[in-house]
Order: sequence, then C-alpha cells, then structure tokens
Amino acid sequence: MTLFHFGNCVALAYIPYFIVYKCSGLSEYSAFWKCVQAGTAYLFTQLCKMMILATFFPTSEGGVNHLDIMGEFMKSTIDLGDLIGFYFIMNSISAKGELKFLVAGVGWATAELIMTRVVPMWVGARGTEFDWKYIQLSLESNVNLVQHISTAALVWLWSRHDLNKSVQPIVVTLLALSSYKPLVVEILIHAAGLGSWTLLLAKSFFTFGVGFVALQLYVGLQGTLNHYTK
Amino acid sequence: MWFAEAEEVVEVVRGHFPWTCLLLVPILIAISPVHGAHDFTAYRMQQFDLQGTQYGCRNTLVNLEARPISAKMVTRRCVLAKLSEMTADRYKELKEQGAGALVILLPESLNSSPQDVLNQWMELEPLMLEQEANMPVYFATEDDELLSIHSDIQQAVSGDQAPSAAQALLSAVYANGFQMVVSGSQAKPVKDGHIISFQGQLTGKGVEDQLPTLAVVAHYDAFGAAPHLSHGADSNGSGVVALLELARLFSKLYTSSRTHAKYNLLFFLSGGGKFNYHGTKRWIEDQLESQESSLLSDVSYVLCLDTIGAGDELYLHVSKPPKEGSESHQLLQELEAITKSVNPSMKFSMVHKRINLGDDWLAWEHERFSMQRLPAGTLSHLSSYDSASRSTITDDISRVDSSKLARNVKIIAETLAHHIFGIGSSEMEVFVDGYDVNKDSIDSWIKYLSSEPRSAQLLTKDEPLLNTLQSALSRYLKDVKRLTIKADKREPEYVFYDGLKFTVHAYNVKPAVFDLFLAAGIASYLGLIYLAVQNFSMLRDTVRSYVAKKPKIH
Repeated sequence: MTLFHFGNCVALAYIPYFIVYKCSGLSEYSAFWKCVQAGTAYLFTQLCKMMILATFFPTSEGGVNHLDIMGEFMKSTIDLGDLIGFYFIMNSISAKGELKFLVAGVGWATAELIMTRVVPMWVGARGTEFDWKYIQLSLESNVNLVQHISTAALVWLWSRHDLNKSVQPIVVTLLALSSYKPLVVEILIHAAGLGSWTLLLAKSFFTFGVGFVALQLYVGLQGTLNHYTK
Repeated sequence: MWFAEAEEVVEVVRGHFPWTCLLLVPILIAISPVHGAHDFTAYRMQQFDLQGTQYGCRNTLVNLEARPISAKMVTRRCVLAKLSEMTADRYKELKEQGAGALVILLPESLNSSPQDVLNQWMELEPLMLEQEANMPVYFATEDDELLSIHSDIQQAVSGDQAPSAAQALLSAVYANGFQMVVSGSQAKPVKDGHIISFQGQLTGKGVEDQLPTLAVVAHYDAFGAAPHLSHGADSNGSGVVALLELARLFSKLYTSSRTHAKYNLLFFLSGGGKFNYHGTKRWIEDQLESQESSLLSDVSYVLCLDTIGAGDELYLHVSKPPKEGSESHQLLQELEAITKSVNPSMKFSMVHKRINLGDDWLAWEHERFSMQRLPAGTLSHLSSYDSASRSTITDDISRVDSSKLARNVKIIAETLAHHIFGIGSSEMEVFVDGYDVNKDSIDSWIKYLSSEPRSAQLLTKDEPLLNTLQSALSRYLKDVKRLTIKADKREPEYVFYDGLKFTVHAYNVKPAVFDLFLAAGIASYLGLIYLAVQNFSMLRDTVRSYVAKKPKIH
C-alpha cells in the first residue's frame, strides 16, 4: 500500500524477534555473532537441501490446484535436513545448554525471516495494492519463531544422553511432526478448504502445542538435572 | 592480528548500520517494482484539434481513487460508471464539479443494451464530442473483474461517503477501495497525421478529355466517442461498399465495347471525412489547380454516398436546388423514377440545405464540391445531417442491413447507367443476370470494414485496411492513385493526438486512517508479546511445578 504499511508489516514481523533476543538473555551473553553463525548454518543447510531436491527429485507437473502428496512428502522428508542443521549448530556452538538451542532457534528463524520475507514484503506491501496477506505473512513469521525455537529445543533434548528413555519417542514424534508440518498444511488446505486466516490460526495452534510440549519436556529434564546437582 | 582488523571492520559496519540502511531505502524505492492487480485495456475518448478549435478530452494520466457515479464528492476522484448509469446531465455535473477522470464500462455488445440506455447514450455522445473536457475519459469493456470492482466501490469506503465516522472506520476494514492508475506520458500531437485518399477512374469510349464525367465519392473513415471503438458500419462503411460495388459493376460494362459508355467515371475514396472532409477538400484543390486538365474540373455531377446501409428512404441532399433542364436535375429525376421502380414503397426526396460557412462543421461531403461550384449531392438514408447515428460507437455491423444496402446500390447503379446510356424508360434494367449486384460481396465487405476501428487517427500510415481498399480499387479501375495529405505545419487544419489505447491498473487500496489503526493494533500486539516474553519465567515455573508434581504421584 504505502511505505507506512510496509513499516507496519516489518514491525509486526521483526520486533518480536528483537524482543525475544533482548528478553531471553541472549543479549546479555552477547550471543549476536553466534546467532549470525546459526543463520549462516541455515543458509548452508538450505543450499544443501536445494541441491538434493534439484538433483534427485523430479519437478511436479500437476496444476496449481493439484495436490501432489507424494511430492510434498518428499520435500518434507528433505526438510529433515533442517534437523541435522540444528544438530550441527548446537554441536559447534559453545554455550550453556538452554542458551544453545535459543541461539540456534533465534538465529535460524531470523535467517529464514530475512531470506524469505523481506523481498515479498518489499515488493508487495509497499505497492499501491492492499492485501491482508502481508499482515498474515508477518504474523506467520512470529509463529515460525516459536516453531524454530521449539524444534531446536527438541533436537537439543534428543541429543541429550540423560534424557529419560520413556520420553524419547515423544521427542522423535514431535520432531517428525514439525518437519512434516508443510505436508499437513497442504492436506488441510485441500481437504478442509481452509481460508488464509483459519489456516494461520491452525498453524499457530499446532505450533504452540508442539512448543508447549517441548517446554514441558525441557523443564522436566531441567528438573532432573537440578535434582542431580542437588 | 588480522582478527583484530576484522573486528574493526565489523565494528564500523555495526556503528554505521542505521546510516547504511537510511542510504539504502531511497535507492531501493527507486529501483523496486510494485505489483498491480487488475489490469484492463481502456480506450481514451477522442482528442483532436480542428481548425484551431480543441475537441475531446485533453488529459491522459489518472492516479485517483475510484468512486461510483452516485458519489456526492467527485472532485479529484475517478468516477467508474456503467454505460446505463451515464446521462447527459450527470456528465455535465461531473465536468462542473471537476471530476478527476471518468471510466465508462461498455457492455459486451453495445447494441443489445435496452433501448432507453441507447437513447441516453445517443444523447450523451454528441455532447461529449462537442466540447472539450479536461478530465480524461476512458471506455472499457465490461468483464467480471471490472464488474466486481464496480460493485465494490458502490459501498462507502471513506469518510466522504459514509454516514457516520464509526461506519466509515468499520467499512475501511471490510470494504475495498480502488485506486485507478493510468501512467505513461501525456498525449502528444501526432507529427505526421497523414490523411490518405484513393482516386481511380473508368475512361469512357472516345477521347477522354472530350467526354463528360460523373464522379462517385465516399469517405471511408469512421467516428465515435473513442477512436478505437469507432467501427462506422453504416457511416460510412456502407458508402465505401457501395462505391466498390459500383466500381465493379461499371468496370464490367466498360470492358466490353458494346456497353462502353461515352462517359468518364471518376471514383474517389476520401479520408478524413469525419474531419470536415479534409481529404476531399485537398483533392478538389489539387485537381482544380493542376496544370493538366483534370476530369474533375468539368465534371457533370458528383454523387457522394454517405450512410446508405439501412432504412426505406433515400434523400438526395443538395446545397442548391438544380435548375430545371440541367444535367443535375435530370439525374435527380432519374434517381426518383428508378427508386420508385425498384421498390414502389420506398420514399425518395430531395433535401435542400444551404451551406453555412459560419459553422465549424460541414454538413455533407457534397458541400466541399458545391463550394467550388461543382454540381454535387449526397445520397443518404438520413433525412438530416445532424443525426447522431453518423458519428457514434454504436454504429456497428448490426446497424447495417446488407440486403437494403444491396438494394440501394442497385438503385444508384441503375440511375448512373440510365444516365450515361441515355435510357429514358425507368422500367428497363441494366444490371441483370451476370451483371447484377453481388449481395455476397457486399455482405462480406461490410463485415470486413466494420470488423475493426476505422478512425482517421488510426489509419494514417500503411494500415492493412488501406492496402486492401487500394488493391480492391485497382482490380476494377484504372489509374488508381493514393493521395497522402499532411496538415499544414504552421497552421494545421487538423491535429491528431496519440495515446488512444491504455492499460488501466486498478489497485485495491485502504484509506490512510486504516494504516494508523493497523499500526495501533500492531503496537498493542507487540506489547502483549513483550509482556509474554518478559513473564516467560512465570509460565516455565508453572510448567515446572506441574512436572514436579508428577513424580510424586509415582
């Protein structure tokens, strides 16, 4: 619409990241460059994923409204590479446990935000044409932040040897769920015919659910840790 | 050591980051593209100067909010209206109130609109063309997107339309406003506004210079509210078709020495007919001034054909009633007699109208000849020169009845034949059997001519239509010449303008106040997030206490 609208969208998309960075203690540990490292790792992972996609998977030939479950499934499977990326980041960053996955999550999400949201917003939201989709895009990026932090937390939990064996399957299931989220979304769009707002709502419910369970597991682990240290 | 340097560079970037950003913004604004949503083709209203007077719409560019025709405030707004909503009175009001632009949506087929809509339009169209307008006026053909935009803007969008402030605010969130944009450059005068005409002849039996000559003239260009919408089937596609058919019929007669008459026939397809018969004017001047003796200088009669494709009447418009005993009078009588014999129910009469030199517009093409004291008349099914149907965009193929056109061609052909062969009896038919008028050819010609716009502005160069006309004439006539005229450099008699076809972008927009409210909403949302993140430890503690309870149960 106007530069003002663009400003609105950018504020909506970026300020939560800033708040999280400032208030989660990342800034106190001056983890800025660590976050940049995590972002670089994001770029590298995406590049690898793209190479694999381009090399091994044929392009889908279906129309716009055609639901290509197999193709989407393949893509989501490649998204498992993200988890490896997270694992790699957390292995290479030297930080205290909880900070580790915050750095990975925030860095990763910020890199994604910059890579995938800036250009569409710049081109779209600044135009004369008004569309709610840029506000939705910004809100979705907030949801993605939660998503990435919880994924990072889950990967971190999974890599812990002191994790209770009984919760291991839950962690793996949640990881798989967050990886295959695009597939679920795609199916939802086609099966339930969700509008853009309801879809956003569904995504955020899903993400907050995963996030909450991850938090619970993390707190549980921390509890046992504290127990040992005590 | 290099590490320290790197640190320094990083420090510089970090220190100046906001400034770099500030520098970047204008650059990005300058180079970045902006998307449009609904694009449609629109045709601009006529714009031309004739003898120093300006006509049509003088502006091109639009960047204004769309408003319905019923809006109270139209100043600096773009009014989007269906043809059925436009009335002459409302148009005048819009002009008075200084509407920024007007986009008129035309139905898919204009002539299938209800009769009262057509009547309204026939009242409005001459009014639009008669005066100049400062607002750009565009015509677009209705499609689903345009109709949805049209229905969207019927709802009040911003403050100047809504009954109360609260409603205005609410509707700002729900309703869609539209910004209409036509960008590009302002319309400029066309430098080489050529007008092209064609001349051809059939030479009679004997010495060419000593034989009498009859001329048949028709102008081929069309006129209407917008050049790109002027198909001019009846006016004057019908005249062109008749001229071509006459050329064909007489060329057939003139090839055989038994039917070769002692008369020269001169055919002239004139351009710029709707611009005061400018092509004709120059042609007459050239012919009369030329050193060689030309056929036109001692022509015995010039018959102009204009709008003869419908109706059961025929009128011969003259500037001076022919004297009894003169050749013109004889021709008039023959025409009357033959009209009666071809179809007794047809009405034929002569209409006398003196040339009004004070008027900006000439009434009929024959006046150009009459002004040079050449005997001339225009044949038409219209009883009056100021009929709106001679210059309208509704003049399409449905306005022409090709069987009536063929009948009129037959009447004209018989009259000319009777005249040049000196046949007294009106009952005798010349064009029978293999020589008859070809209805199929008339039908296909009129379809071809009305299939594309034929405005003088659009036919200034080597258009295919012009080449087709020339080759059709060359098939039947001798000495076919193309006459190209240019307007005078210093005091142009006519000036055409470019920029007649545009792409209009309709952007879905919200009022500025909506952005303010959105900003407030976003600010409060961010505040909530801030609080949530600040108090995250509370949530964690809650979860912890919940998790801690669990083991106790076991």
